[in-house]
Amino acid sequence: MTRLIKASYGPLVLVFFFLMARYIFPNKMTFIIELAIFSIYVMGNNILYGYLGMVSFGQPFYLGVGAYATAIYLAHIGANPLIGMLLSLAMGLVVGLILGPAFIRLRGDYFALINAATCAIGMFTIEKLLLPITRGDDGLWYRSRMSQIPFLDIRMPDKFFVFALAIFLIVLILYNFMDKSALGVSFRAIKDNENKMKFLGYDTFKIRWIGFSLASILSALAGSLYAINFGFVNPSLAEPHRAAEVLVATLIGGAGTVFGPFFGTLAFLGIKDLVSRYIAHWELAVGILTLLVLFRFSKGIWGNTEAIINEKIGRKKNRTMEKLLTDKAAT
Amino acid sequence: MNIDLLLPAIFFGLSVSGILFLVSLGISIGFGLMRIINMEQMVYYTFGAYMAYTMVSVTGSFLLGIIAGILVAAFLGFLVETQLLRRVYGKELMFTMVVTFSVFLIGIGIIQYTWGLDPKPVSSPIHTMIPILGVQMPLYRLFIIATALVVYVLIQIMLNKTIIGKAIRAGIENPDQVQGLGINIRRIFTVTFVVASGLAGLGGSLNAPLTMTGPYMGFDMLLFAFITVILGGLGSIKGTLVSALIMGQVISVGGTIWSPLAFVAPFIVMFCVILWRPTGLFGVAGKAFGFQE
Repeated sequence: MTRLIKASYGPLVLVFFFLMARYIFPNKMTFIIELAIFSIYVMGNNILYGYLGMVSFGQPFYLGVGAYATAIYLAHIGANPLIGMLLSLAMGLVVGLILGPAFIRLRGDYFALINAATCAIGMFTIEKLLLPITRGDDGLWYRSRMSQIPFLDIRMPDKFFVFALAIFLIVLILYNFMDKSALGVSFRAIKDNENKMKFLGYDTFKIRWIGFSLASILSALAGSLYAINFGFVNPSLAEPHRAAEVLVATLIGGAGTVFGPFFGTLAFLGIKDLVSRYIAHWELAVGILTLLVLFRFSKGIWGNTEAIINEKIGRKKNRTMEKLLTDKAAT
Repeated sequence: MNIDLLLPAIFFGLSVSGILFLVSLGISIGFGLMRIINMEQMVYYTFGAYMAYTMVSVTGSFLLGIIAGILVAAFLGFLVETQLLRRVYGKELMFTMVVTFSVFLIGIGIIQYTWGLDPKPVSSPIHTMIPILGVQMPLYRLFIIATALVVYVLIQIMLNKTIIGKAIRAGIENPDQVQGLGINIRRIFTVTFVVASGLAGLGGSLNAPLTMTGPYMGFDMLLFAFITVILGGLGSIKGTLVSALIMGQVISVGGTIWSPLAFVAPFIVMFCVILWRPTGLFGVAGKAFGFQE
């Protein structure tokens, strides 16, 4: 429990800044909401890329699964957004558990490409095969059908902001907790040296499977939040083309760090917002920034900042990992 | 579906195969020889298409467009290889994948910056129709098929008869050994890469009249090219040809049966190939291929 409380310090500071930003830039509300949602999405990809070292070109699919689970529920069955969100989480878990075993045994490049194929096939299924349910390209509209949840009327943008921020805070605290826990350490250990991990007696397949499912759940959660936020969903949310966005945001922020996804999202969405105002599109600036990060600042924005902070405080890095390894050696 | 539709579909599929073969060769060789996943091949493809558009609209000559497409693509390939890719040889596959992907993004950005976002139509240079087996077939598509065949034959000759080709083949087997024999493998890499990107440019400029030339045209082609390469087996040129022939038919005949299949059928093929036969048709199971060791 104390560890959970300890893990919530950083996220609380971040959320405090969120609230400040909300009152300093009141007309940037949509941007701030998207920042919170996209961060959750990037966190999911960060588990795959940053912790486990697996590149996936199909993350939009998992986002789409979550978005459509909520949307179909809200448009056809019920009216409570919270139940829709729970459904999305369940769908994310199911998809992760089913696809995981088949995918994670593949080598890196095949893993990336089969995810791209899954994304294309999955979106095709949603767009064309489930046409009567999803209405294809026209998308589903259900804003008027949504009911309010207790305490909060999340149909209003400023109320939804509180809701999204609360979800973001919970996810971030759990994420930070996971980062420090044995699970997070074993994720990183697999990325470092999987054979050694196997040799130490860990079931690396199971750990990867957990990571894959977690990533899928987080993406589905982000999709569900998008669905509730927009009040409508159409297939363009989860086009295979958009796989680049989440990958690039993960890289820029700092792969394998807790707050990296947030800063990556901030940088990515910020660039997208600024650049598209002056130049046509964002690809050029983001591509150059990514190359720069890859070759010069391999830890990304937050990774490098964190390194500087740690050096200043003089805290030993990877303390948990050393502790874990010595514990293992002792037993 | 009746036979009247099937025959044209097969012929159209052959021309799609030609394009697929040209653009996926670079990915295949890049993996076999340099052990990198070069996603930025599609930049050269897109540039080829845009050069064709520019040349056709400026001078009106499509042939000039093809030549410009090849030259620009080869030059870009040279630039990228010597300036950037040299730094990633020998790094892990995922790193090369992400690096080349960001080059791809930069390429898209440059194209958007230069030519704008709107798709540009390129009119077909030859409008003649030729009857084959009772089917009216556009001569231009036959021209694409012929070009792809000529390229295949030339590459086979180059690989089997010339010294540099033999060095490339040896490099696919074992790059260190080739270096040990006193052959400058880095130069071989550069030559191969420039040729491959030139071919991608050729594919792009040939494909320009058949599709809409837009900044994102590389994305779809990227996935299709990867499917082709994986189906054929990474690093095998013969495999790339055979799988390009198969994929062309899958796209064309599938699209004739039910039009959305043209987009999704290749992905279903890729899905099945990766799950059940990850080495592809002609791939060899070894240290560089297939599952994790």
